[in-house]
Amino acid sequence: MKVPLSWLKDFVDINVDIQTLCDKMVRIGLEIEEVKYLGENVTNVKVCCIRQIEQHPNAERLLCCKVDIGGEIIPIVTNDHHVKVGDKVPVALHGADLANGMHITKGKMRGEESWGMFCGAEELGINSDMYPNADIDGVLVLDPNAKVGEDIRAEVGIDDYVLDIDVTANRQDCNSVLGIAREVAVAIGTTCHEPNIDYTEYDTPTQSLVSVDVDASDICRGYYMQGVTDVTIAKSPVWLTSRLAKVGLHGINNIVDITNYVLYEIGQPMHAFDHNDISGHRIIVRRAANDEKIILLDEKEYALQNSDLVIADRNRAIGLAGIMGGENSEIKESTTYVLFESASFSRMNVRRTGHRLGVRSDSSARFEKGIDTYTNNLGLSRALHLVEQLGCGKVTRGRISIGEVAASKEIVFDKRRIAKLLGIKIPDERVVSILGALNIHAELDGNTLRCLIPPYRDDIVRDCDIVEEVIRVYGYDNIKGTLMPKTQITCGGKTVEDERIDSLKNVLNGMGYNECIFYPFAGKALFDKASISPVDENDYIKVINPIGEELSMMNLSLAPNMLQCVALNLSRKNANLRLFEVGKVYLSEELPLVELPYEQRRLSVCATDIDFDTFRSNILQTVRSATDKNVRSVRSSCNILHPGISADMLIEGAMVGSFGKLHPQIAANFDIDTDCWYAEIYLDKLFDHARGEIKYEPFAKFPSISRDFALLCDEEVAAQDVLNEFMTLPLVESAELFDVYRDEKLGVGKKSLAITVIFRDRNKTLQDSDIEKQSGKALRTLKEKYNVVLREQ
Amino acid sequence: MTIAEIKSLFEADISNCASLAELQELKVKYLGKSGLLTSLLKSIKNLPAQERPTFGAKVNELRNEMESRFADKAVLLKSSEMQRRLQEERVDISLTDCPSRGALHPVTLIENRIGELMTALGFEVLSGPEIETDYYNFEALNIPYDHPARDMQDTFYITDSILLRTQTSAMQARVMEHRKPPLKILCPGKVFRSDSDASHSPVFHQIEGLVVDKNITLCDLKGTLEYIAAHLFGPQTKVRFRPSFFPFTEPSVEVDLTCSNCGGTGCSLCKGTGWIEVLGAGMVNPFVLENCGIDSKKYSGYAFGIGVERVAMIKYGIPDIRLFYENDQRFLKQFAK
Repeated sequence: MKVPLSWLKDFVDINVDIQTLCDKMVRIGLEIEEVKYLGENVTNVKVCCIRQIEQHPNAERLLCCKVDIGGEIIPIVTNDHHVKVGDKVPVALHGADLANGMHITKGKMRGEESWGMFCGAEELGINSDMYPNADIDGVLVLDPNAKVGEDIRAEVGIDDYVLDIDVTANRQDCNSVLGIAREVAVAIGTTCHEPNIDYTEYDTPTQSLVSVDVDASDICRGYYMQGVTDVTIAKSPVWLTSRLAKVGLHGINNIVDITNYVLYEIGQPMHAFDHNDISGHRIIVRRAANDEKIILLDEKEYALQNSDLVIADRNRAIGLAGIMGGENSEIKESTTYVLFESASFSRMNVRRTGHRLGVRSDSSARFEKGIDTYTNNLGLSRALHLVEQLGCGKVTRGRISIGEVAASKEIVFDKRRIAKLLGIKIPDERVVSILGALNIHAELDGNTLRCLIPPYRDDIVRDCDIVEEVIRVYGYDNIKGTLMPKTQITCGGKTVEDERIDSLKNVLNGMGYNECIFYPFAGKALFDKASISPVDENDYIKVINPIGEELSMMNLSLAPNMLQCVALNLSRKNANLRLFEVGKVYLSEELPLVELPYEQRRLSVCATDIDFDTFRSNILQTVRSATDKNVRSVRSSCNILHPGISADMLIEGAMVGSFGKLHPQIAANFDIDTDCWYAEIYLDKLFDHARGEIKYEPFAKFPSISRDFALLCDEEVAAQDVLNEFMTLPLVESAELFDVYRDEKLGVGKKSLAITVIFRDRNKTLQDSDIEKQSGKALRTLKEKYNVVLREQ
Repeated sequence: MTIAEIKSLFEADISNCASLAELQELKVKYLGKSGLLTSLLKSIKNLPAQERPTFGAKVNELRNEMESRFADKAVLLKSSEMQRRLQEERVDISLTDCPSRGALHPVTLIENRIGELMTALGFEVLSGPEIETDYYNFEALNIPYDHPARDMQDTFYITDSILLRTQTSAMQARVMEHRKPPLKILCPGKVFRSDSDASHSPVFHQIEGLVVDKNITLCDLKGTLEYIAAHLFGPQTKVRFRPSFFPFTEPSVEVDLTCSNCGGTGCSLCKGTGWIEVLGAGMVNPFVLENCGIDSKKYSGYAFGIGVERVAMIKYGIPDIRLFYENDQRFLKQFAK
């Protein structure tokens, strides 16, 4: 919301400098985005009066002038032949800076002294909305009453600030100069004068010009209309257009400018209809017919539907309620009768229609935030006052009012609620006076506080809103920090799952891996590169309004983003990559989603410049840190990994993840030209087998017996499977591989596994016969399953 | 041999002995089953009966002396052998190639730090779904459909009623629906907004804090934030509230901290103001409490939402939010600790 300081001063006396004003505004909740001094690029330019003009002796196109700059006469050379003796014009003196970037210095022009330069409107950064005749090329001839020697900025109205204020979404009333003025008055402790809304009504009754029916009162709470006869369409005076210019609008004609002026000043979007264009002199506020067409003031045609609200005459729609007027009823040079509309349209309806049709306006922006019927009437009266002030025509008698005008509402509550919520005690008188300054009439009766809320404060609905009003004016600096002295004891901490994740991260950190965080979505191209794509594009959970396709599909794997990151790091010559991410993939049975998907937490780990054994041991160490169960490796079928150099990890038959060398094709897709190792672990599955609560167990009383076996088997047989076979025996405590031996004597494609098995019975000392029985069973099974045999010694 | 001869031979032998193995041999030579001294003792039977006690005593005396000398010599030899081994055993100590410790992501560091601080105050750390319903993200937080406050947050939608959460506040109603006060909840996590430029990322992290109990006040909110600020940026850090608006808190405030770079005197980081905006907060709107079946007359609460990257950028001097998601290893490694 842009507010010129000069406009604000119409309503509130400002007795502090601009910096203090802004600070105080911020402290009560008006965030200042920008403070712009309009004259900041125009310095050392004064009003001068031309005393003498002579032809330049050496140049036909130049004139030599003597000008009065207030007690001093100086020479100025100009090429503008329109200037006359006695004209008052702006002169840029030595050292002046101008709005177009020019810097002026004293000098000689073709041998004649010139101590400066006359300025045109452009050099001062103004246009004809801001100063009369500013549209004429050449030197700007000023008002004869301009004060010689005065700074030009005051004369042309740019000795002014424009505050750009970020109004919070609840304060629709502050989307207006008046609303800001009310707040400023509270902030600096002065009073705000309400705008002048006096006007004289002439004989023509409004009712005789038009009748109004509201057929959709559910989405039009109030509709007010009054007319102007004997209208003279003309240009608005500069004081008015200059204000509009400062908030970024152009002057159009007096009637339209008045509606814009009221929009900014009061916050009431108004519309002016040409009475002649209203067929049957009847206005109907109704829902549009499906596929009804309308051409709006932006000259575009829109197809409406039944949920849209239109202003119509007997035959057709003449405006899209709250958004924009129709081209068919706009104010023209020839307009003689005007009808002003001021209404409350449902903010939801305006928002929906505006969004659907892609059309927004200053009006709809305000309607979307909500306008009350009190402001409707204030705005309409203010417009009629301006009509009279500008002499545009005669106001008609009486107002067509449909809908109840909002009255002040009452909120009653226990005043102790204020201290209870804030934690500090504010004296009663102070509470009442703060509320009074905000136009909230407050009365205390014992502990009961009765507050009358002004109708334009839609945002105040209950006691806590009043508390906020009080404290924001009383000052948040009065709130002193306490650390919940009266709270009950609660048991804090992370979830077990989060603690487990922290442990995994710690293990990975210890082995040199660095944590990454990626966006949990990517584009189809990236998923394709990683061969993650499901067959059907619809099998993704997709963002329907993404910033771009590359940020549209929710993760089905952590690999695409990780591999892209590896490629980026490699392209920047970062070697020895050790990266991991704890992220999520989003899994759903049914697409499009009807309920929330399962968010599976996963761990991805990636490394370069490492060998298989080290990477495998890193991954297993990580996995084993989380579980005390046996982790079995089987050959992986994961299609992003090298089929011969990769494994799936299983715990009690459940797949908990895969690791291995990145498939060379995938590596090529990502331009990864070094060996890259990747693992992805399903944390939910892993944590299903997490270590349990810590509970001390006494040591075994009976001794263990260790036996070594040399087993001959095919190269294909995984050592882990062999060990597992021993591990299934009830008396086996552990089984570990300590050597793998290959030799021609063993045969081609054969290897010998040397393993140590530790046997223990918790209840008695083991006998050799027990061990023979147990290991014999394992060896028989191994022979059957994998053709593993005990090697001849 | 006589006692004297044996003694003199022993003196020579023991002084020449240079190793524990030799010493063992000497023990056998003198004290073994057929050792010199043992043989001497056996010869006692050849002596007259009256000389035997004297002779026996002398031999035993010598035996005792030898045993003591053997023990002394053993200690001496062990010590010199240890010295020799220590001289001989040498490794090249210059070759120590082990990976340096990896780092946590700066976002995690801040989340963990604030997590530690708050769990110490009795906060539970919970995480909610990133793909969330419109209800929890908006409706339950007093932001009905078509409310202008929706414009404050550009939302990614999956369907009409399912979206990527725009705020970790979405956890508020999820928690309060099932659990009743006293509640102290911290909810860190990813949030999503469909705007992206140098200072905005479509994905970033927030930490939601929520306390609901009897007697919770705005002073408690300020005290809690002062506690966090003091630990993150030093005990001199001040907290300032400015009025603001969030539909789910009333009163609502923006929270500024004194600039950690200049200490509040004004610098380029704080644009000369001495203050840095880090989070939004407020007292839980009674509407939200009542909507979750909590009596707003009996209970009050506060909530805050911290921008994690924002805090990390200030704390570590990170200039651009995009660095967080690029994951250049040179960036990541700097956060090892």
